[in-house]
Amino acid sequence: MIFSFITGIAAISVVLIIVGTLYVLFKESSLSIERFGFLKFITSLDWDPVRESFGAAAALYGTLVTTALALIIAIPVAIGIAIFVTEVAPNFLKGPVGVAIELLAAIPSIIYGMWGLFTLAPIMSKYIEPFLQKTIGKLPLFNILFEGTPLGIDLLTASMILGIMIIPFTASISRDAFNLTPSVVKESAYAVGATKWEVVRDVVLPYSKLGVFGGIVISLGRALGETMAVAFVLGNNNQITTSLLDAAATVTVKLANEFTEADKDIYLSSLYYLALLLFMASFIVLSIAKFLLLKAENKLKA
Amino acid sequence: MNREKFRIIQSRIAFIVSTLTAMFGIFWLIFIIGDVLVHGIGALNINLFIKDPAPAGVEGGGLRNAFVGHLMITFFATLIGVPVGVLGGTFLAEYARGKRIARFISILSDIMVSVPAIVVGTFVYAIIVKPIGHFSGWAGAVALAMIMIPVVVRTTENMLSLVSWTVREAAFALGAPYYKVIIQVVYRGAATGILTGILLSIARVTGEAAPLLFTSFNNSFFSANMNEPVASLTVSIFQYAMGPYESWHAQAWAAALMITVFILFITIIGRLIIKWRYKK
Repeated sequence: MIFSFITGIAAISVVLIIVGTLYVLFKESSLSIERFGFLKFITSLDWDPVRESFGAAAALYGTLVTTALALIIAIPVAIGIAIFVTEVAPNFLKGPVGVAIELLAAIPSIIYGMWGLFTLAPIMSKYIEPFLQKTIGKLPLFNILFEGTPLGIDLLTASMILGIMIIPFTASISRDAFNLTPSVVKESAYAVGATKWEVVRDVVLPYSKLGVFGGIVISLGRALGETMAVAFVLGNNNQITTSLLDAAATVTVKLANEFTEADKDIYLSSLYYLALLLFMASFIVLSIAKFLLLKAENKLKA
Repeated sequence: MNREKFRIIQSRIAFIVSTLTAMFGIFWLIFIIGDVLVHGIGALNINLFIKDPAPAGVEGGGLRNAFVGHLMITFFATLIGVPVGVLGGTFLAEYARGKRIARFISILSDIMVSVPAIVVGTFVYAIIVKPIGHFSGWAGAVALAMIMIPVVVRTTENMLSLVSWTVREAAFALGAPYYKVIIQVVYRGAATGILTGILLSIARVTGEAAPLLFTSFNNSFFSANMNEPVASLTVSIFQYAMGPYESWHAQAWAAALMITVFILFITIIGRLIIKWRYKK
């Protein structure tokens, strides 16, 4: 009896942490919520501690852009890796490649950030960004994306690092989803003469699309909340910029850089407001991902 | 070119592309680890471990405070997080097995595994740092423990579910009460798996910096007092790498090397144990 009670309390702690976080973030940000409301806060570009006027637009914009770009970089690569590991690689390579990708996931984000600052950013500013400016930067529409001086501390570099970081998550969930395809179905496709690629495209992918999609949404959730990897290379500049070669800010970078400096109640409260928005957004996104993955699992059981 | 040939070529191209993406992924792994190795080994020296930081701008000094602080914070986080996690997982797998509440809590834990770590930091700031009035090592340990708990809950739950019911029934038949069955029989059967899960969760929180920024903060002096701000390797890496001095950058690389090697080592060991124990 006593033991079951103790374990029950321990299990409830997970619920308590989540509910507690939501409650505390809400309470701490109430000052800012009262002063700025919801719509005004998320649409205002102001971030002015002196005049005590705060808005989240720039931070939200930076978060959205880096997350979206990171997904664009990561998804095709991750799915390619999953196809390689499940269908293409000879058996002796499957294990090592799988392990290598999982090790990529184990590297802490602060290492990604530091490596980004000292290694990737200089490479970006010296070679890749000028190259992009000279080639697709000349095209109409693309030119506004690649305006300015390539410094390496910008949205593009941050998105690259974030993209590399989420490749392993998407890849390993996609791989698991691919592996769930019953081999009978694949074999019957081979039996009617399909090539390997046709089996992947017409059997494996449709069969596992819910799982793959769930993996993508989980990565989206991770990218939204990632802090250290972007904190190094984004510059914490409160602005909305059309060029990917400009410094910017994300919600997490603002929190990391300004939280301990916030000297006024309304300043701290506004930072809590940002944290609350981030928490709710990632919680919703991750719930959707979990729902999709459960649905994929259930479909298979049925 | 006939249809058949076209389909074969199409298939080949698709697989060359997927091979390239795999190489692309591995390329970054080698690039990052190689880079950390090269810069880190060059900056390693004995002073790093036995000296405290020199005043800003002065050459020399080390990161003894950060190494000790990091160990302490991680140790206490493990001390808080592991029992709660293991007991919670026990509840889900044993007492609430198959019930709605168990499913609900495991889904919540899965979600919490990916919740932004920095939000946990702001939460702990509000419930511990603000009421007490200053940053402390304890706050850092609590923040890391909160990140550990859902990970440990889930691995414990999974590992306990792998222990077959017949083992429990055999113990019941001897007249043992359920808690004794769990502690003496079920835990023993799942011990390797649970230990591995704990190892992997330690590896996970060792690399966290974001939740420590506003909880344990940093301390440029040596302090073994968990009631004071305590230095940690990850926060030091953040400050040193962003700082202006070459010597700081070198020390940040060395610290990065130590952390990366530690985490990769534990991760690989953990995976080997799981493979050795559970696949066949």
